[in-house]
Amino acid sequence: MMTHTTSSEPVTPDAKSDRAITPETAGADRGNIKQNKVRRTGAPGEKLNILGGLGGWLWLAVIILPIYYIVITSFRTSEDLRANNQLLPSTNPTIAPFIKVLQNDFLHYFTNSVIVTLATVAVVLSASVMAAYYITRSTTLGGKRLFQIILLGIAIPVQATIIPVYYLIQQLGLYDTLWALILPQIAFAIPLSVLIIVNFVRDIPAELFESMKVDGAGEWRILTSLVLPMAKPALMTVGIYQALQVWNSFLFPLVLTQSSEVRVLPLSLWEYSGQFGIDVPATLAAVVLSALPLLVAYIFARRHIVAGLTAGFGK
Amino acid sequence: MRKATRMAAAGLGVTSLMAISACGGGGDNGGGGGDADANAWILTGGGWPAIEEDFNRWNESNEDAQIDVEGIENDSYKGQIRTAVGSGEAPTLIMSWTGGALLEYAEQDAIVDLTGETGDLEERVFDSVWQNGQVDGSTYAVPMNDVQPVVMYYNQEVFDEAGVEIPETWEDVEAAIDTFNENDVAPFSLAGGSVWPALMWLQYLTDRHGGEEVFQAVVEGEEDAWDNESILFALETMQDLGENGGFIDSYNSVTADQNEDAQLLADGQAAMLLQGSWVYATINNDFPEFADSGNFGFTSFPTLEDGAGDPSNIVGNPANFWSVSADASEEEQQIATDYISENLYNEETVTAMLEAGSLPPLNDIEEEIAATEDADFLEFSSQLVGDANHFQLSWDQAVAPEVAQPLTDNLSGILRGEMTPQEFVDAMNAL
Amino acid sequence: MALPAVAFFGIFALIPLIGVVVISFMEWNVLGSPKWVGLTNWEAVLFDRPFTWTALGLTVTFVIGSYLFQAPVALLLGVFMAGQQRYRALLAVLYFLPLLFSSVAVGLTFQSLFSPNYGLSAALPFEWLPNDWLANSDLVMWVMIFVVGWCFVPFHGLLYQAGVRQIPQSMYEAATIDGAGRLRQFFSITLPQLRYTIITSSTLMLVGSLTYFDLIYVLTGGQPADAVRILPLDMYVTGFASYNLGYASVIAVILVAIGLTLSLLLNVLSGSSKMDSDKAGA
Repeated sequence: MMTHTTSSEPVTPDAKSDRAITPETAGADRGNIKQNKVRRTGAPGEKLNILGGLGGWLWLAVIILPIYYIVITSFRTSEDLRANNQLLPSTNPTIAPFIKVLQNDFLHYFTNSVIVTLATVAVVLSASVMAAYYITRSTTLGGKRLFQIILLGIAIPVQATIIPVYYLIQQLGLYDTLWALILPQIAFAIPLSVLIIVNFVRDIPAELFESMKVDGAGEWRILTSLVLPMAKPALMTVGIYQALQVWNSFLFPLVLTQSSEVRVLPLSLWEYSGQFGIDVPATLAAVVLSALPLLVAYIFARRHIVAGLTAGFGK
Repeated sequence: MRKATRMAAAGLGVTSLMAISACGGGGDNGGGGGDADANAWILTGGGWPAIEEDFNRWNESNEDAQIDVEGIENDSYKGQIRTAVGSGEAPTLIMSWTGGALLEYAEQDAIVDLTGETGDLEERVFDSVWQNGQVDGSTYAVPMNDVQPVVMYYNQEVFDEAGVEIPETWEDVEAAIDTFNENDVAPFSLAGGSVWPALMWLQYLTDRHGGEEVFQAVVEGEEDAWDNESILFALETMQDLGENGGFIDSYNSVTADQNEDAQLLADGQAAMLLQGSWVYATINNDFPEFADSGNFGFTSFPTLEDGAGDPSNIVGNPANFWSVSADASEEEQQIATDYISENLYNEETVTAMLEAGSLPPLNDIEEEIAATEDADFLEFSSQLVGDANHFQLSWDQAVAPEVAQPLTDNLSGILRGEMTPQEFVDAMNAL
Repeated sequence: MALPAVAFFGIFALIPLIGVVVISFMEWNVLGSPKWVGLTNWEAVLFDRPFTWTALGLTVTFVIGSYLFQAPVALLLGVFMAGQQRYRALLAVLYFLPLLFSSVAVGLTFQSLFSPNYGLSAALPFEWLPNDWLANSDLVMWVMIFVVGWCFVPFHGLLYQAGVRQIPQSMYEAATIDGAGRLRQFFSITLPQLRYTIITSSTLMLVGSLTYFDLIYVLTGGQPADAVRILPLDMYVTGFASYNLGYASVIAVILVAIGLTLSLLLNVLSGSSKMDSDKAGA
C-alpha cells in the first residue's frame, strides 16, 4: 500500500519543498499557528459528516471513560469504592487519598523526575543541535558516515540494551544514582533528535551561512544567531517529545535504581500500588497527581505543545 | 575549524565534568565513604510496621550507629535485592526467605558468616526455624520477624447461611463445595492471578498426600523428582477445584498484591481462603468491620484420608531472615551485627509483634502470648507451629532462584487449565 | 561540534549494543562476574527453549495487531481533527489527554478497571461482559493491544492532523470542481499527500510496539506467560526475574535484529525517504 501511494502522487511532484519553511516564517511560532488556523477553514469535511462525527464522539468516550474513572475514584475511600458502583461518583467525596499520597514522599519523587527530565532534555538539545549543525555543514565523508551511524541508532530498540547498560552503569559506579537514568537516556534520545533537527537545519539556504561567514561570524555565532532560531520548531518538538519519553520512562529506573532516594515518578506509582494495596483510590490519586504538572502545562501552553510536538515530525 | 574544535572540547568538558560530579552526587547508598550509616530494606504491609518501629527505636538510642530503613513492596523487593547484591550495592542488612537465594549469596561470598556473633539468639529461637539460616553448619542468616505458617481463614457467616460445618477432612471439603455452590457462594477465594498463593495449595495437597519427602527429593536434585504421584495428585485436585466451582469464579484475575483475595472473604463472596499468617494482620487493618464481627475464623489445612503425609505438617515461611552484606564497610557491618546480637526480638518489639497478631519464633513467650489482648490467633498459630512435625519452606523460595520463575509460569498454566499435570512435571523435570 | 553527541551515543548506546552481543555468549546470573560459554546460550534459546518461539509469535501478533488498530484510528482521527468545525477543535483538546499519563499510570488504571470483582464488569449491568479480561489467554492480547492503542493513538493522531493541515487547500478545491466525492478525495489526495507522515508514524508505531514493555508489564505482571510475554517482556523476565542474563541477551540480540530489519524494510519501502542521507553532506 505504501508503494502504491508513492507512485500515485499526481498533484504536486515535490510536496516536500512545498512545505519548506522560509527564513521569514521560521522561528516565528505565532505566525505558524495563525497560518494553521487560517488553513483550517476549508479542510476536508466541510459538509456535515455524520459518520465522522459519530466516530469522533465514540473515540471521545473511549478516551474519557478511564480518565473519568481515575478522577472519581481518587476522591473516595476504599470502603466507598467497594460498597458502591465504581462508575458513579461518590456521594461523599474526600481528599484523603491525595493527602495520603503527599504524605508518602510524592514531592520527593516528583523532584527527582523533574531533575532527570530537565537534565536529560537540556543535554540532548545542546548536543543534538551541535551535531546537526556539524552534519549539515560538513563537507567531509566523516560527517556523512556519522549521520548514517546516528540514524542507525533510531532503529535500536532501547529496551534491548538494558542488560549491557546495567553492566556499564554498575561498572562506572553510577548504579542507584540519578546519573544512571540521565546518561543512557541522553544517548538514546540523540538519534531521533539529530534527525529532526538536521531536517530543519538543512533547509537553511547555504547563502545565509556564506554571508554570515563573510561578515566574519564564528561557528558559535552562526550556531546561536542563525541555526538556533531557524531550528526552533525542531527544538520544540525534540524538547517536548523527549521530555515526555524521559518523564514516563519505567524500564531504566526499574533496573538501574533501587532506593527511594532516587525514585522517579513512574516507579513510585508502581511502588505505591503495592504499598497501598487495597487502597486503590490512593493509588489512583497518585496517578492523578503525577499527571497534574503535565495537565497544567497543557492548559497553559496547549497550542505550543501540540504545534511543537508535531512540527519536527511533519518534515 | 579551530573554533569548532574548541567548542567540541567545551562540550566534552561538560560531559566529563558531569561524570566527575556523578561520583559524589546522587543517592549515597551502600559502599561509599566516611559517614557510615548502615541501611536495611524491609517490606511493606502485614507485620512490617512493627519492624520499622523497632529500627526507629534503635536509631533513637544509638546516635552513632544509625540504620536507614526503607520499605519496599514485596514483588518489587524480590527483583531489586538481587540486582543490588550483584552490583555490590546491597543494603547492609539483606533480608531473605532463606532457601535457594541464601545458598547462592553464601556461595558467592556476598554475605558474611555470622557464627558466634549472634548473642543469645540461637538459644531463644525455635530450632526448626534457626536451622534455615545455616549453610554447611555456619550461620549466615538469622530470623528477624514472625513465623508465617499458611492457614485456612474462613467467614463464619457464610458457613452459617449455607448450614455447613468448618471442614476438617478433605471429604468434608468436597461436601462443603457442593453445598456452597448450591447456595451460590464460592467455597475458596484464591488470588490465582498472583500465582504464588496457588503454590500453597500445591504444597499442602502434595504434603498431605505424600509427606515432606516428596519435595525434599526435588530440593536435593534427585532425577525426575517432580514426576511423583503426590505432586500429580495435587495438581489434578487443583484443576478439579478450578473447573468444578471449588475456587471462586475468575480466580485467575484475582491478585494478592491488592489483597483482593482477602477482600472476597471479608465481603462474604467466598467462604474460605488459604493464605499466609500475615493476612491476619491485613484483615485487621483493611477490613476492620469483618475482623471485629466475630465471623472471622481460622483453622488448619484439612487432613486427607489415606494420605501418607503427617497431618500436623505445615507449609509457609519459617520467618524472614537478616544477613549482613559482605560489600558493606567494616563499620556498617559492625552496626548491623550489633543490631542483630543486641536488639533482635527485644521485649518492646516482641510485644508489638504479638499485638499485631504476629508470632515470633521464640521458645519462651507463652506468658506474653497469654497476656496479649487478641490471643486467639497467636495461640492457634503457636500451637500449629509447635506441634508441626515438619515446616516446609515455600517452594518458590526453597528452589534455586532460576527455577522459581518457571515454577510460577507452569503453575499458572495449571490454574488456567492450559497445561496438564503431566506436562507440568515434565516441564519442571526438564529444567 | 558533534563530539558531545558522539560521546554520549558511543558510550551509552553503541557500546551497549556491542555489549549485548558479547553478553549473549556469556553466562551471568547477576551475582558474580560474566563467564564466556561460547554458543551455549544461543543453542539453548533457539533450539531447547520452545518458549522463545511462543514469545516471537506473540510479538508478531502484538505488533501487527497494534498496527492494524492504531494506524487506521490515528489516520481517521487526524483527518477528523483537521476539520474546521468548532466541536472538532474541542474534541481534539480532549483527545490529547492520554498523553498526560505515563504508561505505568495507564497500566494501573486499566488493571483496576479490569478487576473481575470490583471493576468495570462488576459496575456495568451487562451479564455478557467477561470478567477475566487480564487472565483469559484468548482475551488478554486484545486487551493489551487496546490499552497500548489508547496510549499511543493520540500522538499519532496529532501527527496526522498536522500532516493533513499541510495539504494545500487548492487541491481539494480543484477536486471538488472535478466532481470528486469525499471518499475519492480521501484516497486520491489525502492519503498520497500524507505519505511522509505515514512513513514516520508507521516506523514509530512498529518499532515502538516491537519493544513495548512498560505498560504490559504493569498491566499483566507478565502472566499468563504464554499469552502476554512478548519478546521484550520475555527478555526482562529471563534477565531480571530468572537471572539468566546470557539467555536474556540472546533474546535482546534477536530483538535488535528484528528492529533493524524492520526499519530498513520501511526505509526501502518508502523509497527516497528522508532517512536517506544523500543530502547530508550537500
